[in-house]
Amino acid sequence: MSVTDDLAEARDRELVQRIGRADEEAFRGLFGRYSPSAMSLARRVVRQPFLAEEIVQEAFLAVWKNPGGYDPQRGSVRSWLMGMVHHRAVDAVRREESQRRRSEESQLSDPVIQPDLADDVVDELGLPEERRAVRAALEGLPDEQRQVIELMYFDGLSQSKISDKLGLPLGTVKSRTLLGMKRLRSAIGGLPR
Amino acid sequence: MTRDHTRIEELIAIRSLSGLDPQEQAELEREMASHGPDCEECRRLETEYGEVEGRLAFALDPVALRPGFAEETIRIALGESPASRPGRGGGGWRPLVAVAAALVLFVGGAVLGAAVFGGGSEVPPQATVLALEPQDPSLTGTVTAAFTPGEPGIYLQGSGLEPLPSDKVYELWVIEGDTPAAAVCVPPGDDGSVFAFTDKEVIGSEVLAVTVEPSTCSDAPTTPPRWAGQVTTA
Repeated sequence: MSVTDDLAEARDRELVQRIGRADEEAFRGLFGRYSPSAMSLARRVVRQPFLAEEIVQEAFLAVWKNPGGYDPQRGSVRSWLMGMVHHRAVDAVRREESQRRRSEESQLSDPVIQPDLADDVVDELGLPEERRAVRAALEGLPDEQRQVIELMYFDGLSQSKISDKLGLPLGTVKSRTLLGMKRLRSAIGGLPR
Repeated sequence: MTRDHTRIEELIAIRSLSGLDPQEQAELEREMASHGPDCEECRRLETEYGEVEGRLAFALDPVALRPGFAEETIRIALGESPASRPGRGGGGWRPLVAVAAALVLFVGGAVLGAAVFGGGSEVPPQATVLALEPQDPSLTGTVTAAFTPGEPGIYLQGSGLEPLPSDKVYELWVIEGDTPAAAVCVPPGDDGSVFAFTDKEVIGSEVLAVTVEPSTCSDAPTTPPRWAGQVTTA
């Protein structure tokens, strides 16, 4: 973890503490900092703008209603928040199991790149560095491991669905996933101080 | 004695990608229970793989939010539902509707009505056809309304619209001043098309807007407009 990471995490934790005191500005701060990334993730998984908005809104409202749900011993604020978004998005995909989803892939297969969203430099504190680190970690995986992890995480597919899709034995999907995740854990699974 | 965490790690790693099948989820719960609540290694694995899960999100570039989305979320957090906004602070619902300055209004719908709504529709030949503007650039499809000012009856037609969850529908509103009146609600077909009729009347200065609402339909909008168009008789 870099100093920038530590500063960013300290700032996030302070925002969550203030949200615990119903501080609207703190909520605005956390929302402004992470909602574009949260929306990107939700849209990538569910591929429906309306549903993605619902998911992001639910996740942030959950933070507002229960900031005590964040336990600093269990990881960073950003991971906690994005984990909530991811769970909700995958749940939504599995609920819908939408045949329609694929019909929209051509329109939404790639997130709209918005290189400089933050009005305030402080809002972007640490995030470009974070993106570089995560992308480097993913790119450092062997292709076959990255593929199963991306299908599971970004497309919300279960192992058995991936096995069907790639024509691989289920055991192979499991072993590739585990190997890839162990590498990712080593690269980006560390906690901020 | 050191316990073996190999299987727990496998399951936690895959769970952090939301990739577990239900039987594996049950297995993980059993394994965790067998290690007890004080298993430090279990906690460490959960924490570190959880960190991976959250941080993977940052592999994607951020996207621009729909204008108004942040304020809408904050209002909800503060206990103000979007539907409660019209009566508060003079803000009104209508300002949420970003109708294009250049209004899209076609009069003399004999040809356009048939072209947009299909020759077999009952859209009257003299109807005015209004193309509603998307309020978010990411929206797909087109929405049009046909009506004859001063006479009951609005036809709503859409195509290529975003599919909705089964518990949601599109709802048309006729907005006079700051007051939206529910007109008709309709779920999109599998092909993203909608067609609906309401006997509501357009007089000539309203805004027509379409929102996404619960399938029970709403008496007041609960979400911002997705499409909107200003009616003029000039």
